[in-house]
Amino acid sequence: MRPIERDLERFKEIVRGEVKKRAREFLTREELFGEVEGRIVSIPLPQLELPKIVYRDPLGEGLLGGGPGEEALGAGGHIPVAELELEEFLDLMGEALRLPRLKPKGEGEVTEEAFRYTTIARKGPRGLRHVRRTLKEALKRTLMSGSYAPESPRLSLEPEDFRYRAPKKRPRPHAQAVVLFALDVSGSMREEELKLVKTLSFWITLWIRRHFPRLERRYLLHDAEAWEVSEEEFFRAREGGGTRLSSALLLAEEILKGYPEAFYNRYLYHFSDGENWHGDTPKALEVLRRLLPSLALYGFAQVQGPYGQGHFLEEVQDGLGDREEVALAEVRGREDLPRALRALLGGKGEGRA
Amino acid sequence: MRAELRAWAETLRARAEAHGLSFPPVLFQEVEPEEMAMLAAYGGFPRRYPHWRFGSEYLRQREVYRYGLGRIYELVVNTVPVQAYLLKGNTPLAQKLVMAHVYAHADFFQNNLAFRPTPKDMLDEMAHHAAYVERAMERHGARSVEEFLDMALSLETLIDPHAPYIQRPEEPEETPGPARLRVRPYLEPFVNPSPEPPKEAEEGASPKPLPPRPTRDLLGFLARHAPLAPWQKGILEIVREESLYFAPQGATKILNEGWATYWHTRLLLPLLTPEEAVEFAELQAGLLAARGFNPYRLGYLLLKEVEERWDKGRFGPEYEALPLGERLRYEKPFGEGRKKLFQVRTVYTDLPFLEEFLTPEFALRHRLLLPEDLPRFEEAKRALLFRLTNLGYPVVELLDANYGNRGELLLEHLYEGMELDLKKTQAVLENLHRLWGRPVHLKTVVGGKETWLKAG
Repeated sequence: MRPIERDLERFKEIVRGEVKKRAREFLTREELFGEVEGRIVSIPLPQLELPKIVYRDPLGEGLLGGGPGEEALGAGGHIPVAELELEEFLDLMGEALRLPRLKPKGEGEVTEEAFRYTTIARKGPRGLRHVRRTLKEALKRTLMSGSYAPESPRLSLEPEDFRYRAPKKRPRPHAQAVVLFALDVSGSMREEELKLVKTLSFWITLWIRRHFPRLERRYLLHDAEAWEVSEEEFFRAREGGGTRLSSALLLAEEILKGYPEAFYNRYLYHFSDGENWHGDTPKALEVLRRLLPSLALYGFAQVQGPYGQGHFLEEVQDGLGDREEVALAEVRGREDLPRALRALLGGKGEGRA
Repeated sequence: MRAELRAWAETLRARAEAHGLSFPPVLFQEVEPEEMAMLAAYGGFPRRYPHWRFGSEYLRQREVYRYGLGRIYELVVNTVPVQAYLLKGNTPLAQKLVMAHVYAHADFFQNNLAFRPTPKDMLDEMAHHAAYVERAMERHGARSVEEFLDMALSLETLIDPHAPYIQRPEEPEETPGPARLRVRPYLEPFVNPSPEPPKEAEEGASPKPLPPRPTRDLLGFLARHAPLAPWQKGILEIVREESLYFAPQGATKILNEGWATYWHTRLLLPLLTPEEAVEFAELQAGLLAARGFNPYRLGYLLLKEVEERWDKGRFGPEYEALPLGERLRYEKPFGEGRKKLFQVRTVYTDLPFLEEFLTPEFALRHRLLLPEDLPRFEEAKRALLFRLTNLGYPVVELLDANYGNRGELLLEHLYEGMELDLKKTQAVLENLHRLWGRPVHLKTVVGGKETWLKAG
């Protein structure tokens, strides 16, 4: 290995260590939230800067076209940023937070057709001409017709000699998934609780997508009734009336019909303070019992609001707690996030406090 | 290297010498972008000691090139012979331009006084340093050596850039004792009694202050006096030596780039074909673009200005006495421009260069300044010079290594109206404390009041 590669490896190792060390901090970093779609994550890492005695204000540009700011061996004062591929960053976070690997459920694997230019055809666009094969054909023809003269081996090309690279269909296995987030907006969920929900659903989305690159997302809100909303709408704080958790589950069941379980790994996440109308819980459990076999995971996060909390979590635990598609988590505050995230992704045995 | 390029190198070398430039042999080598990124990260050297910051810089250079944010056309290393790397894939004209540019850098390295004390065999030195650090890593563990390097490098600006010039006579010995009489041994205690034993109060007190006078050479001081293992002292020496080696390059950036630009223009322009002239103009426009701080532009324009002024006799008391408007038109054929340029190249660094030649008339002529800003010229100039002072770093002196007679370090920031970044400074002081093993104090000014920072 060249020495510079060794230095580069060491640098990357330090960055990786730094990410793992600060995984909990990154978990709640809001500036990361904008980067779901990005391939590269920029992580500010002030620790990776060798401290120097420098001026407080960077020596910026002045009237006469500025000073050597960045030129001067590092005095200039920008925060060093390490950039990581999203995949690598997620893997490091996953390792640090001990997030479970998601496995496609047997039938969830679908194949899609992909074209690769692996064969040769007699017709095609100029740009795809295969020069060597074309000359070979010409040579073959000249030899066969007996007009080949070794002392002046010139080939004249006939239309029939031309060969072109051509596409061939190749099946490519591809796992798909759909994730459906349901949020209870009945009164007691406020700004702070909503933030926790946002953080959780952000990381759940990223982590599921890490395993299923083709991921669809649907969002729905509910109080006593449920309705579907856009992603933006989903995270806007608002208050509603009473609560019927079953309404969300029924709508979810409806939406999920568009994603047959033979082709999709189906994830359903439900955030609520756990308070439900008195007669509704048996109904909700019944819908759940019907839905569960077709789901990869049903995650229920009970977020504790300022007005106490309900008991849906306990009811699910009692009724369906032994089903492996059920993931439960209690979230009372920021510090519960790593454990809740782990539990909601199916990490067993650590969901409850 | 390709024969065609070699022929051009020869032509340009001959022209440069005919114009009075003088330099050691220059070795040109074409390198791929990847290798250029590596060399840039290593400060131009093919081998440096192992450290992650080179990896980080290498990554940055590679990305900059990959995304087309900039390219390094050339790298010149101040060694004998001069090593010059050209980017493979430059157009033939760009390669010619760069080679002419390189010869002027080589001339600058050889003749500018700031480079007089730098070692010319730095290629070997850097390789020795690498071997030294690698050996230390084998013996004492890669991580502990790296950790020590991190500490040492956080002190790398705490050098005295003038240290290589300073020559002090040996300190005179302590006052010699009274003359001794030669007598038989048994009479010795009576005829030549031993001096009185030291009084209790003096015991342990250092006879001389340490350091004997305030010094900026903190790294040198630590390498001599800090309670460290030999390999650690060796590393401090290495960091200090490399810092001193690079210091003159930082201190002459504007002048050196200006000089090289002046000469590649001068040498190449008469040789261009009409087609090349267009490409040359494009390259030159990119190089001299007036965006932000551009050392090429400032240095080049200022050198041209000096040449013109000394050709037209625009200097001396008679000229200085004229009002601004008349100075712009003053002309008295003198023809000493070229001679003056060579003098400037030899004896100046950026700071005095700008101090002396960056005049209001220059700033106006090149639109560095709008006429209505003229009253603020002096202030703006002072701010610019301040940024060039000590490579833009605060000046810090070690006052006392036995502060309060407790073996503590006392440093002072020579405050010039700009406050320190206290968080970073504190982190450096913590490192210093770990190295020295005793508390460390730094005197500075915060909010107009003298303030002491402390670590340990």
